[in-house]
Amino acid sequence: MRTHLGLVMLCVMSAAGVCSSTSAPESPRQFDCRSREKETFSCWWEPGSDGGLPTEYRLFYEIENFRGVRECPDYVSAGENSCFFDKKHTSFWAEYIMMVVATNALGNASAQFQIPDVMNYVKPDPPVNVTVVVNSSAPSPFLEIRWKSPPNVDVRTGWVTPKYELRVKQNDSKEWKTVDIGAQTFFNFHNVEHGLLYMVQVRCNLDYGKWSEWSNTIFAKIPKHRQLEKYFWIFVFVFSLIPLLTAMYILVLKRKVVKQCLLPPVPGPKIKGVDVHLLKSGQSEDVVNALTGNQNFPPMAAWTEQVEDFLLVSDSDEWLLTDTFASEEKKDIFIIAAGLHLGLEIQCGDSTVDLNTWEKTDDSKEETKSNFLNTEPTNLPIEKQECLSGEEVSIQPNTSYVDIQQRPTLTDYSRVKEVNGDTILILNEEEIPHGSDAVKLKREVSVPDDYSRVKEVNSDVVFLEKGDSADGCCKKKEDHYTDWTNQKPIMPHDSELSKGFCSKMIANGYVDSVPSFSVK
Amino acid sequence: MSAHIRPVSPLLVVLIYLALCSRLSSMRAASSCTNGQTGCHFLSLANLFDRVIQHSARMHGISNDLHSEFELYFLPSKNQIGRVSRNCHTSTILTPNGKENAQRIAREELTEVILKLLVAWREPLWHFHQNMAQHHEFNNFSSNKSLEMSDMVHELRRGVQKVVEKMQMLGVISSSLGNLASPEALLASDRAEWRLMNDYDLLYCFRRDSNKIQNYLKILKCRIVPEHGC
Repeated sequence: MRTHLGLVMLCVMSAAGVCSSTSAPESPRQFDCRSREKETFSCWWEPGSDGGLPTEYRLFYEIENFRGVRECPDYVSAGENSCFFDKKHTSFWAEYIMMVVATNALGNASAQFQIPDVMNYVKPDPPVNVTVVVNSSAPSPFLEIRWKSPPNVDVRTGWVTPKYELRVKQNDSKEWKTVDIGAQTFFNFHNVEHGLLYMVQVRCNLDYGKWSEWSNTIFAKIPKHRQLEKYFWIFVFVFSLIPLLTAMYILVLKRKVVKQCLLPPVPGPKIKGVDVHLLKSGQSEDVVNALTGNQNFPPMAAWTEQVEDFLLVSDSDEWLLTDTFASEEKKDIFIIAAGLHLGLEIQCGDSTVDLNTWEKTDDSKEETKSNFLNTEPTNLPIEKQECLSGEEVSIQPNTSYVDIQQRPTLTDYSRVKEVNGDTILILNEEEIPHGSDAVKLKREVSVPDDYSRVKEVNSDVVFLEKGDSADGCCKKKEDHYTDWTNQKPIMPHDSELSKGFCSKMIANGYVDSVPSFSVK
Repeated sequence: MSAHIRPVSPLLVVLIYLALCSRLSSMRAASSCTNGQTGCHFLSLANLFDRVIQHSARMHGISNDLHSEFELYFLPSKNQIGRVSRNCHTSTILTPNGKENAQRIAREELTEVILKLLVAWREPLWHFHQNMAQHHEFNNFSSNKSLEMSDMVHELRRGVQKVVEKMQMLGVISSSLGNLASPEALLASDRAEWRLMNDYDLLYCFRRDSNKIQNYLKILKCRIVPEHGC
């Protein structure tokens, strides 16, 4: 019974001991080290059970050829349960003997690890700055892959010689294509196809040590096949070339046909009686004949002026105009001074005859003028008489009547002295074509010549008070003129011939500016 | 006829002279590059260094492969307790064990270390190869590698000696290494210590030393001719 109790007690006590047990720690397990740049290294251990109590871990090491046991210089930098060996404490090609001791309140435990050569634990960081550029030139595209060595690796002194390895895979494929690079930091990967997406990774190792982890994946897409485009454009080019060539063929070989189509000959002008060929080859006369159609035109006559204006010619003041000469219309009058000898003779006696003859000669053309001629002599006898009486030489009215209608009265323009304005002609007294022996009187009567003498303006007729402009022959004239001023101008219609023939003259001579001589 | 030749002949003479001159100058340039000018020499020194470094890298690679193979065959425990230090026969040679140390050490000293190492391993490797050939459990691949390795050590030592001569000629290092070049002086120091090592330890030691040689050569090159790829 008691033995049973004792066993039960033992069991209970042992159970109690197990449940609330704290014990010495277990020795650490798993030891691993790593050198990232072949200058320093770190080691980690896996702690065993700590026995429920806070446990302290310490590392002691010994180096081959170096006497003495040393403790880990840095427990912190590499993390928990680690030891970091800096440059001073790192020796290559030398064996490290590590001892890790776990200690807690109840005891301690230790484990020993051997590192034959730290060189065996060199594992660098992956390469950095990996860039992939798609090069689409040349016959086929390729990837230009570039990278840089890990930053903490010292290549410059030659202490470390990194070697690289890269791998490329299609995005949807499972297999990687791996390439050993060597020491260079670039590579052109040619085994790619158009239109696919590729993944690229690079890793490195130092001095035949362990390979680093693969770098970050870089994606690169090859653009689509340009050859299809090229074929397409070749196709288009060829097909567009065919119509071009046919067009050129047509243009070159069928020149004439094309010419006729595009540039039809312009139809020549069709004129009756005109022979085109004759025009081309013929003489000018023929051309003219052809054009005019062989019509016979009468020869052109010399231009004769058809006077519509009336000329009043008078060589004296006594020149009278009867109302018969009153014309209906008013037109420009060319008043020729008495001194005008348009082929008129200033002979008192014969003047009429001459004038008449002259008039007649010039009157051949106008029928209407003949009327005036006929009527003239009837109205002019008075002047005639007066003329005979004195020295005055005047052209009888009838004789002075020039066929005003016709400008040709002024056939001989050589007598024209001056054109003053456009209504008056001042003619010089020149040789009388009829060779008169009479005293040539220079009579100049220009109506607008000297407007200071103008006494009165009746309608558009200007009455002059002749001054000294007249020659001696006209002295009396002057007197008459002066006398006349007092008298009223009498219209020619009155046909009263009084003493003051001059007045009448005045009245008539210049009055009838127009009407009496209108010729239609 | 003679009238035409006269103006032409001096031209011909001049042309021929120029051609000859250019040829001569190019030849001189080639010859001077090996003997004369400094710039050319440093370029050739850098080339020599590259060659020996490549050689040493290859040697280290082979030693690494052999060591890995031996590990497969013999499976030694990785975390052996109790083996504080390996008995490498080259342990007596003081070698810089880090970058700073290698940078600080004198050029001559560094060169001496390299040469010592190379000399020390010539005989042991030859013997190792002999053992490999006799033991048929090793495949041909390993046997070929051991032979290659032993040859490489010998070739590399001769290459490094040439580099030293060049450096001494250029005045980069002093001429005090003259006595070191003789193998007899080196061999006197390590007689039979290497015979005590087993093959695995030998391969392990050589793997370590070849790595040292490679690193030291690289550091030496970057100290002497840094502008040519460092």
